[in-house]
Amino acid sequence: MVEHRLEEWLEEGYAGSFRTACLILGNRADAEEAVQDAFLRAWRFRDALTSVPSIKPWLYRVVVNSCYSKLRQEIPHREHRAGDGELAERMASASDPASSAERSEVAGVVLAALQRLPVSLRVPVVLRYYADLSERDIALAIGRRPGTVKSRLHEARRRLADDPGILQLGAGGALDDSVEA
Amino acid sequence: MPTLDDEFLVTLLHEVGDSFAIPPAGPSAILGRVHHDDDERAGRRRSAGEVGRVGEGAEGADSGEPAPPLRTARPTVRPTVRSTVRSTVRSHRILTAAAVVLVLLVAAGGAAVLGRGAPKTNSSGLNAAPTTTSPRTGFGVAHTPAPTKAVGSTSVRAGAAVSAPPLSAPATSSAGTASNGTSKATSSQNAAGLGADAIGQPARIEQTGSLDLRVARGAVSATVDRLDALAGANDGFVATSQTDSGTSGGSPSGTVTLEVPVASFSAALEGAESLGKVSQLTTNATDVTAQYVDLQSQITALEASRQQYLTIMTRASSIGDVLAVQAQLDSLQSQIQQLQGQLAVLGSETDYSKLTIGVSETAAPPHHRAAAAAPSGLAKAWHDSVHGFVVGTEGLIRIAGPALFALLCLAAALLGGQLFWRRLQRRNL
Repeated sequence: MVEHRLEEWLEEGYAGSFRTACLILGNRADAEEAVQDAFLRAWRFRDALTSVPSIKPWLYRVVVNSCYSKLRQEIPHREHRAGDGELAERMASASDPASSAERSEVAGVVLAALQRLPVSLRVPVVLRYYADLSERDIALAIGRRPGTVKSRLHEARRRLADDPGILQLGAGGALDDSVEA
Repeated sequence: MPTLDDEFLVTLLHEVGDSFAIPPAGPSAILGRVHHDDDERAGRRRSAGEVGRVGEGAEGADSGEPAPPLRTARPTVRPTVRSTVRSTVRSHRILTAAAVVLVLLVAAGGAAVLGRGAPKTNSSGLNAAPTTTSPRTGFGVAHTPAPTKAVGSTSVRAGAAVSAPPLSAPATSSAGTASNGTSKATSSQNAAGLGADAIGQPARIEQTGSLDLRVARGAVSATVDRLDALAGANDGFVATSQTDSGTSGGSPSGTVTLEVPVASFSAALEGAESLGKVSQLTTNATDVTAQYVDLQSQITALEASRQQYLTIMTRASSIGDVLAVQAQLDSLQSQIQQLQGQLAVLGSETDYSKLTIGVSETAAPPHHRAAAAAPSGLAKAWHDSVHGFVVGTEGLIRIAGPALFALLCLAAALLGGQLFWRRLQRRNL
């Protein structure tokens, strides 16, 4: 049943796609629109799924494309919309006030550090360390070679390690001096 | 160079990502939009299927169902292919201009190649090898009376149309040497610059030519005989013929002057060329229409005067008057006959073309040297090899230019396409 498949997609992939879009865009409303567009687009082009080996990177590719479109359209407004209200909203959604305060502080710092990364580095980082895609799947999702993905991930980790906000979180112990290939 | 640990990043990003609450209406909004889109498509299909049915609306296209909640935030503009291309062109104006210039260059190159491949004017026959020595001047040239074969104006016009340039064109001349060493010259002269239509009668073209033929040893006499037969075959005649048998120490030679109808000039020339090796070819075409018309008008005017003097003669009452009028009549008659003679000569010259052919034997020493130098065996193979190498090199040089141009165009197109494609990919991601 076709409709049932769409509901399955939504049930399995909506939460991850939405949060991935949030991390990429740094904005809840834009992420919701981007994910909505992505699922609608994926549904329209579901016939292409027959030639796709795995649905997950394909779906994430559509989500990433929607995020890129949203970034192009929303650049003049994004800084304005991603403000303290976003963090306050997240704080309100947490159940434990003490825990939520701490989490919101960490989330704000990490989110700000992510937003300081260029999009070309931010997207692989989010797909790799949040969406848990392999480098090969990330390459499929962003339409680049796996080697490019690897080098971008390395560069993103290096920049995040130098980020003052991340350093304040006590990332000194998490620093890895090994240079990845 | 220090980098962040993978596990630390996973922990951080999950902590941040999981802090975003899932919008409860998100999946239902997507389902609603999908339903709405499906309904719209079905409605469009039904509407398209019912085109032409007047009075029957498509059900479902206006079903009245409330539109599902589309978006929780402001609507976004979905980029289309056209807008993507437009924005790409806008942001790559130089590249777009270069692409346009490239397309124009390719089009111009294609047009040039096609134009070069167009058939050229045939170089054989009178049109390509009409030639000149010097235009005939005056009318006092001794001329053998033409036989009483009437050449109609139609055939004369056809001959003029084939062999002469347009009468309204200015006089042109050109000369050159053919690759085989044969000297060829051509000219056409428009004496008065008048067109045939402008004067109400067919053009009068005086056409002459001369040809030097080299024939084999001992074949001069036979060639002269063949030229005589050639004149008869083309409805012409031999005006003069002179043969030197070579008894005085020189080599045998001959000179034959043929007069053939203008329409047959080209055929006679080709026939003469086929009798030996042409060492020199000269033809001349002169438009004498204006002179012909001038003579006609002078004769008409003089005849009118003569008629008036005849009328006066009938009214003369004294012998003195009669003698005076008779003297004028004699003078007029003389002028009229002189002009009529010139007209007849001119008409004959334009009805018949004169072709002078010099026949001589091929020089013996070069012939023997050529025979002795005729390569054979290894020498012939070597010459063939060298010739093939030269021809191949010429071919390579000939195609190098267009090939280089095509390669440059291809490289530019590939570069532009790659940049364009990367830009499109970047914008789509």
